[in-house]
Amino acid sequence: MTTAEGGHAEADALLDALASAFTAPDGRPVPVDRRPLTPDRLAGLHAGDGTGILVPDDAQLAELAPGAAAALVVLDGASGTALVAHDPVGRGHLVAAEAVAAATGGLRRTVAALRTEAAVIDALQSVGRRLTAQLDIDSLVQDATDAATTAVGAAFGAFFYNLVNRFGESYTLYTLSGVPREAFSRFPMPRNTLVFAPTFDGEGTVRSDDITADRRFGHNAPYHGMPEGHLPVRSYLAVSVISPSNGEVLGGFFFGHPEPGRFTGRHEVLAEGIAGYSAIALDNARLYERERNFARELSRSMLPEAPPVPGLELITRYLPAATGPKIGGDWFDVISLGTGATAFVIGDVVGHGVPAATVMGQVRTAIRSYALLGLAPSEVLRHVATLLDGLAEPTFVTCFYAVHAAGEELVYASAGHLPALLRHADGTIDLLGEAVAQPLGVGHEFPERTAAFPVGADLLLYTDGLVESRTRDVTRGMEWLVAAVAGLPRPLTPEACDDLVEALTGGDNDDDIALVYVHHGGAETT
Amino acid sequence: MSEPERVGRGPFDEEPTGTVALEQVPEGVVLAVTGALDLSLASTLRRTVERAARLRPARLVIDLTGVTFLASVGMAELVRANRELGDVAVRVVASGRIVLRPLELTRLTDELTIHATLADALAAP
Repeated sequence: MTTAEGGHAEADALLDALASAFTAPDGRPVPVDRRPLTPDRLAGLHAGDGTGILVPDDAQLAELAPGAAAALVVLDGASGTALVAHDPVGRGHLVAAEAVAAATGGLRRTVAALRTEAAVIDALQSVGRRLTAQLDIDSLVQDATDAATTAVGAAFGAFFYNLVNRFGESYTLYTLSGVPREAFSRFPMPRNTLVFAPTFDGEGTVRSDDITADRRFGHNAPYHGMPEGHLPVRSYLAVSVISPSNGEVLGGFFFGHPEPGRFTGRHEVLAEGIAGYSAIALDNARLYERERNFARELSRSMLPEAPPVPGLELITRYLPAATGPKIGGDWFDVISLGTGATAFVIGDVVGHGVPAATVMGQVRTAIRSYALLGLAPSEVLRHVATLLDGLAEPTFVTCFYAVHAAGEELVYASAGHLPALLRHADGTIDLLGEAVAQPLGVGHEFPERTAAFPVGADLLLYTDGLVESRTRDVTRGMEWLVAAVAGLPRPLTPEACDDLVEALTGGDNDDDIALVYVHHGGAETT
Repeated sequence: MSEPERVGRGPFDEEPTGTVALEQVPEGVVLAVTGALDLSLASTLRRTVERAARLRPARLVIDLTGVTFLASVGMAELVRANRELGDVAVRVVASGRIVLRPLELTRLTDELTIHATLADALAAP
């Protein structure tokens, strides 16, 4: 406010002073009109955007004020004011204009320099914000290369960066800006030559007015310089991209220009700034990628392939949550017990993420181990509950464990898990193991029950993600499930199984889901 | 099958859609929980239980009357509060199938002391 008003007062004083400088050849003041100029008119004068005083030439004068004897245009940013005299004048106004220009020239240069500086900081800040908001490596490296190449005024720029694949091997990729990819695709990756080494080793920025004259240039066979057909590079600027989390060199930016002396200290600072933001962004993206791979690997490695069991048809599913964390604590298992019997397991470790997944892995393995020892269902669960007492953090695990021996009987126990569905050959549905015991981590007694499981019957084990959500309580969810299962084809096809899940969850389950479906086909199925 | 519109979607999915309010009353401390007691609210409940425990109340009532969804992670927090508060008597107010049914299916009705109303929970010996 104060500045703007002060600015106005100064501008008025300047206009007054200049107006009084319009004098007739004999020194008498002449009348002077003041005319505000619109940006259009200013553009017609090629005045551009700035401050200062413009002396219109004859053509401009005729255009600006037909018939006028003389004029001065005082520019003030996008607006301006013309001072126009119609009477013949001497050179007084020109001398005054020159004096003002001389007096304010330094100031104007300072203002221009500060504006450039502010633009640089603005650009760096917005590039930084954009880069660090990205997690996709491909798009962020391209974005960084484009931004940096533009910022340093290079003819072209390249960003070589290292990635690590899932076998732990490191490899290098690159992006280009300012040139098509074909311009480089014939050349091998740059090697750790004297010119490139400081960048790849993270030893600091290299800036050269003429790299071809640098003592480090041209020492390596076979090219001794740039390979034939390489874009001509004289001005050279290279900065390392160093991980803020572990100090590792993640890559390097390389900028070139065919003319010498193009890169300044300012460009170096800019390139280093963008490299700094790129390092943060790459670090984030790599950590995110690693986390995602880890989640995928973990869930994949923990889920078993159900072994074929003579007489039984099996369909198993594990679906990570469609929204939110991709690692959950649900699991299923199908275990051949060696005696011709098969154990079916479904369970849910409370919570999400790595803590839930690691507990799940331990519980699953414990159940497998006790199962293979031939323990009865209630014993298996009791041992696991005791095992869980030893964990540092209290846990809460629901689990349904059933054994089908050769024959027509199912023996099961449940630790607070949702009841299994048993569909008889005649279509009637029983709920097995409803509210018989507390979860593992809470209770220690898991009563055993038996149920007939004759040829033609189906068994469905599932986790809570299938039946409950924020918008559907478990009572309603169970009713829907029972209704949906009653309508399933027999034996169940994988497609019908997926349709069942889709129908019950709408495809956007915010919890993970595991399920095991068993159809007792009898001796004729294999 | 028609489903009501989901409350939280997209970027706000992880925002808790419920609340936990702590109130000191002559009988002890009441934690009134509202909304979905699932993963996004469970940590808030745990922190509030810990805050309540530092007040050393004679009785801690966790009032689930306003709860619209009780996930297993929420039940785990109830068990944790019940077991870790030592000599503080923990009471749970639960009525209606949305809250009671999950507690029954997991037999936590055997573990927790449950009352139908807040008045009962405060008045019970």
